[in-house]
Amino acid sequence: MKQALRITCVLTVVCLLSGFFLSFAYNKLSGKIEENQQQTIKKNVLALVENGAYMEEETSEGEKYYLIFNKEKNLVGYAITEEGNGYQGKIKILVALKSDLNSLWGIQIIESQETPGLGAKINSTEFKNQFKGLIIIPQINLTKKEPENHNEISAISGATISSRAVVKITNKAIKKLKRILEK
Amino acid sequence: MVKELFYIFLSAVLVNNFVLTYFLGICPFLGVSNKIESALGMGFATTFVMTFASTISWLIYYLFLEKFGLSAFLGYSVFILVIASLVQLVEMFIRKYSPGLYHALGIYLPLITTNCAILGLCLFMIIRNYGFIESIVFGFSSGIGFSLVLLIMAGIREHLDTCEVPQVFRGASITLITAGILALAFMGFGGIIK
Amino acid sequence: MNRIKKLLIEGLWKNHPVFRQLIGMCPTLAVTTSAINGLSMGLSVIFVLTCASFIVSSLRKIIPPQVRIAVFTIIIATFVTLVDLFLKAYFPEISKSLGPYVPLIIVNCIILGRMEAFASRNPVIYSVLDGLFMGTGFTWGLVILASIREILGGGTIFGINLYQNGKILVMILPAGAFFALGFLVALMNLLEKRKW
Repeated sequence: MKQALRITCVLTVVCLLSGFFLSFAYNKLSGKIEENQQQTIKKNVLALVENGAYMEEETSEGEKYYLIFNKEKNLVGYAITEEGNGYQGKIKILVALKSDLNSLWGIQIIESQETPGLGAKINSTEFKNQFKGLIIIPQINLTKKEPENHNEISAISGATISSRAVVKITNKAIKKLKRILEK
Repeated sequence: MVKELFYIFLSAVLVNNFVLTYFLGICPFLGVSNKIESALGMGFATTFVMTFASTISWLIYYLFLEKFGLSAFLGYSVFILVIASLVQLVEMFIRKYSPGLYHALGIYLPLITTNCAILGLCLFMIIRNYGFIESIVFGFSSGIGFSLVLLIMAGIREHLDTCEVPQVFRGASITLITAGILALAFMGFGGIIK
Repeated sequence: MNRIKKLLIEGLWKNHPVFRQLIGMCPTLAVTTSAINGLSMGLSVIFVLTCASFIVSSLRKIIPPQVRIAVFTIIIATFVTLVDLFLKAYFPEISKSLGPYVPLIIVNCIILGRMEAFASRNPVIYSVLDGLFMGTGFTWGLVILASIREILGGGTIFGINLYQNGKILVMILPAGAFFALGFLVALMNLLEKRKW
C-alpha cells in the first residue's frame, strides 16, 4: 500500500513538473514560433512579386488567401496555397497570381518529398522560372517539348509525374482562388 | 472517401513504407527479422498496437489537447504515454494467451514502446491533418507495411543463414545492405498513386 | 580521473552506440542526408542525453523501480519537447529539415538505454559525463555517415559544392543510407577483429 502510494506520488510529481516546465517554455517561445511561420509565407510571396511591399490575409469558406499590395497600397496580386499528390508524397505549392488574374507572378514549392536528383528538380530555379509571368488562360498545360504557347510548361526530363503534379496542383490553386474571388 | 483511404493504405504499405522510406522501426526490424515465426508474431503485435495507438492518440489530441491549447507542448508526452500503456496491455495479453509467442519475442515485446514507427505514426497523422477514420486506416496500414517488410526480411535472412557471408559482414552489416536492396526494389512502387 | 578517461573512450569508440551497440539507427539513417543535418541531430541528442542523465541520476534513489521506464520516458520527452520548441523558434530551417525526427528522439533507444544502464545506477557527475560522451560518439558517427552520403550523393559537404559530375544519386536515397551504414558497421567489425 505504501509502495503504491509512493509510485503514484512520484509519477504525479514528475508529470506535473514536466508539464509546468513545458508550458513555461512554450509561453516564452510561442511568439517567436508563430512569427517564424508567418515570415516564411511572407518571404516566399514577396520573393515572387516585383514591387510587393506587404500582404493581407483573408479567409473565405475556410480557405486562407493573401492580397498583395505594393508600397503605394495598390493591389498587385493574390497568393494561395494548394496541395496534391506528387510522385513520392504530397506537394504543397504557393501560387502568386497577378491582380488581372490572367497570369502568374510565379510559384514556390513549400513542401515536397520527390526523388532527389529527379523529381526534386521541381525545386530548381530553372523549373520554377517557367511559371514567372505564365499565362493561365484557359489553364496551364504541360508539354514534353519546348513550350510553344505562353501557357505551357516544359516537363523535367525523367520527372514527368512530378512535373505533371505541379501543373495540376497549380491549376487547382488558380481555380480555387478564382472561385473564392467570385463570391 | 474510400479512394482516399485506399491511397493511404497503398502509400503506407508500398510507396512510402515506414521502414524502407522513413527508417522507422529499424531496431525490431534488425532484431526480430531472423525467423519467420517471430517476425509474424512481432508484426501482428505491432500492427495491433499501431492501430489502437493512432485511434486513441487522435481522440486525445483533438478532443482534449487542442481544445485547451496544450497540443503544441504536451502532444509528444501524451502520445508516448498512450503507446507505453497500450504496449503494457498487449504484453499482458500475449503473456496470458500465448506464452510461446511471449518467449519468442522476448525483450522485443516491451521494446515496441520505443519502436519509432508507432510514435512516428502519431506524428505523421498530426502533420498530415488526417481525420479520425483516416487515422485508423493509416495506423493499420503502417502496421501492415511494417509487418510485410519484416516478413520479407525474415525470409531472406533464413536463406542467408545457409550462405557463406564474409565474416566482417555477418550480422547487422549484411542485414542493412539487404535492406538497402529491398529499399531500392520498393522504389519501384513510386508513382502508382496519381 | 581514470574513470572519466574510461567513460570517454567507451562513449566515443569502444562502446559506440551506433557502430558497436547497434542502437539508435532510426535517426542515424534518416537525418544523414547532409552533414549539417547530422550535426544538428547529434547536438540535440547530446543536449537531451546530458540533461536527462543529470535528472535521472539525481533522482535515482527516489524513483520506484516498477515505474522507472515510465519516469525516464517522461523526463526524456520533456527535454526533447524543449529542444523541438527551441529549434522551431531560433533555427526554423533546421527544424524543418529534421522534421518529425526531432520528437522521435524520445524513442531513440540510445537515450532510454543509457538511463537504464548507467544514469539510474551511477553518481551524477559520471552520469552526466557518460551522457555527454555517448552523445558525442553518436554525433561523430552521424557526421561521418552524413558526410559520406552528402559527398558521394550530392557533391557537396556542409553545403559547399565539391563537384558536379559523377554523383552517386542512390547515396542520398533511403537505400543509400542502408548501404553506407552497412559498410560502416562491417568496417567497425574489421577494426574490432584487429583489436582496435
